[in-house]
Amino acid sequence: MRRRNGRIAVTVVLLLLGFLGAIQWKSQSAGDALAGSSVQDLGELVANLTTRNNQLRDEISTLERQRDAVRASVDRGGTSAVQIRSDLSRIRGWSGALGVTGSGVTVSVDGPLPGDAVEELLNELRNAGAEAISIGTIRVVPGVVVTGPAGNLVVTGIPLADPLQLIAVGNPETLSGSLTRAGGPIAQFAARYPGVLITVSIADKVSVPPTDRDLAPRLGRPRI
Amino acid sequence: MSVIAGRIRAIPSWQVTLGFALLALGFLIAAQLASEGPRIRYTSQERTPLVATALDLQAQQESLKDQILAIRADIGSLETTGEGGAAVTVDLNKQLEQARIAAGLVAMTGPGVVIRLSDSTVAVPTEANERDYIVSGTDVLAVVEELWLAGAEGIAVNGERVTAATAIVDIGGSVLVNSAYLAPPYDVSAIGPSDMFDRLTRSQGFVDFIRARSETFGIGVGYAVQGAVDLPAYAGAVNLRHGYVDASPLPLASASPAAGTDAP
Repeated sequence: MRRRNGRIAVTVVLLLLGFLGAIQWKSQSAGDALAGSSVQDLGELVANLTTRNNQLRDEISTLERQRDAVRASVDRGGTSAVQIRSDLSRIRGWSGALGVTGSGVTVSVDGPLPGDAVEELLNELRNAGAEAISIGTIRVVPGVVVTGPAGNLVVTGIPLADPLQLIAVGNPETLSGSLTRAGGPIAQFAARYPGVLITVSIADKVSVPPTDRDLAPRLGRPRI
Repeated sequence: MSVIAGRIRAIPSWQVTLGFALLALGFLIAAQLASEGPRIRYTSQERTPLVATALDLQAQQESLKDQILAIRADIGSLETTGEGGAAVTVDLNKQLEQARIAAGLVAMTGPGVVIRLSDSTVAVPTEANERDYIVSGTDVLAVVEELWLAGAEGIAVNGERVTAATAIVDIGGSVLVNSAYLAPPYDVSAIGPSDMFDRLTRSQGFVDFIRARSETFGIGVGYAVQGAVDLPAYAGAVNLRHGYVDASPLPLASASPAAGTDAP
């Protein structure tokens, strides 16, 4: 009888264990991490993911066309040099090794803004789809970070003059709208830094120079 | 001694099993309570379908990125087969591979560090803002910037490669990198020089970050210095839709405007 009671107790505890284990596992999943989001935030997240997925589908279409063109060239026994040059130019422009010209915006920052606030502006431009950005004549590439307190900004060891100019190639309306929207960075900075005037000008043609940094990795190697 | 051993042997096996099971039960209850921690929870009927949609879109995104990487690999393979022996093509292919590596389009491995940011486990005081106790996009961005300043040559966050076009944003407590939704904890992986971690910890910006976020709100900041840190390839769009590439001063100048770009 005592042995039977023991078995029942073990069974009940193990059942509880399994149940709690399942709950714990589920609560650690990605979905539950979204518990920190309100309905409004989730709506924004869904919109963001949808936009990004559409961009990725466009990229797939572009790459498929590129693959067909290269394959056709190879099948004809010809050279793929033209296609490679085109690919090379596009990647170098995108990465910052070559300058880029196109429609976009110029953001003028007049007054003392700290480095992290300038980084917020750059991050906002990237989020709005900027294809190339520069701080004055310095191309923004990985490793280029604006630092320093308000009035003493430095980027890659070079002091930045006031007024500061950020130049971005991209959809002008989207870039401008993202910066100037209600509750956006410019509105927030107006309250936090009342002595700073930030203006955004839309342009049909802005030019972003190439970087003078060596973008080739020195320590990392391709992973096979 | 033999008396104690004898007593232990005399304990019925079901009691031992029950003992271990109760121990595990206690652990799981504690873990469950801890996981109810600072992440804010909302309850409403609209949330469930929205969370499901977001997760579905994220799963689609993973699949689309896999397709992009596969097609890029196909193109790379075809480009090296075309007119294989021609010196000009061989040279161009070398340049293309170097450009892809420099742009973050190739997965890399090398020495470096991984900084892990995790939500606070500190109990949130009644009047406090719960958001202060969870890792935000601003936190992730701050660590990425500090790693660049410490000499990193490549960075990824939870499998998303940081490139010239990468934005790190926060939507109501959810962190998006390259518009991909990432769940905590956040592993910021960086390839860089052997003294990168020392430089990082000496940086005033990083010290300020630790004071403001870790010491004040209990945000977890862990690290691991590793001989081999893996960074994935960037799998997003590499297109210039509103700009065109300026003529190159290199022999590449003879190339026509890049495909997919607007001609001047």
